[in-house]
Amino acid sequence: MVFGALYTICFYVDISLFRYYPEVGQFHLQMTPDIGPPILWYGWLAVAALGSAAIALLVPSKLADRLWSGWVWVLPVVVVMVILVYEARLWFV
Amino acid sequence: MIVALLILHGLLAVALLGALTHQAFAVASVRSDKRSFFARFRTVNAAAYATPIVLLFTVTALAGGLLYPDYRVAVRPALEDLQLRAANGAFEIKEHLVAVGLGVLPAYWLFWRTPLAPEHSPTRRNLTWLLAFLVWWSFLTGHVLNNIKGLAQ
Repeated sequence: MVFGALYTICFYVDISLFRYYPEVGQFHLQMTPDIGPPILWYGWLAVAALGSAAIALLVPSKLADRLWSGWVWVLPVVVVMVILVYEARLWFV
Repeated sequence: MIVALLILHGLLAVALLGALTHQAFAVASVRSDKRSFFARFRTVNAAAYATPIVLLFTVTALAGGLLYPDYRVAVRPALEDLQLRAANGAFEIKEHLVAVGLGVLPAYWLFWRTPLAPEHSPTRRNLTWLLAFLVWWSFLTGHVLNNIKGLAQ
């Protein structure tokens, strides 16, 4: 449920667990200049996955069961709308 | 090798697109003449599609992830040189939507487990349509970008 929100925060704030540099085929924990453009997408996914897993483990199941089931689609829809608006302003305006 | 992977990615995406579209229309609240093509299109066992959709989405995304480095090095610079901002932006959105889709899959699979709970029918319908939107965007974007600047060029 929160994976999409965590992923969006990661790419907006640029929190990436690692970076992959495809021109040299290397992974780095920090930004490394002069070896080509980095791919941060894998790192964003990793942070979102770890964060979601941690929340899933820490939140008691009794509390989770009391939540309205609709949140599992409402939250991702809101995230998608935020992404569309944000990226549209960057690329289509 | 990369072309073979791209073709595989495309074929998996087509299968995923078909499965999700069938399921989405099966759960849509629309009336249709029982004899129409549309009625036959949506008369499928929607629950049976769920696990294949989860598998197809995951494997298609994995293939896309393996293709991404070549896209980043070979295709995106060409789009930037050609100043095709909309194409570049559409693919940026595709990356994000696929990520959101991966996050939705566990909940989607859980709500489609049989026996189906009637009270969760709206949630199943909305999750399915959300995934359908994500996959349609991803498919059309990938297809158009490959037409502009494929990996083999």
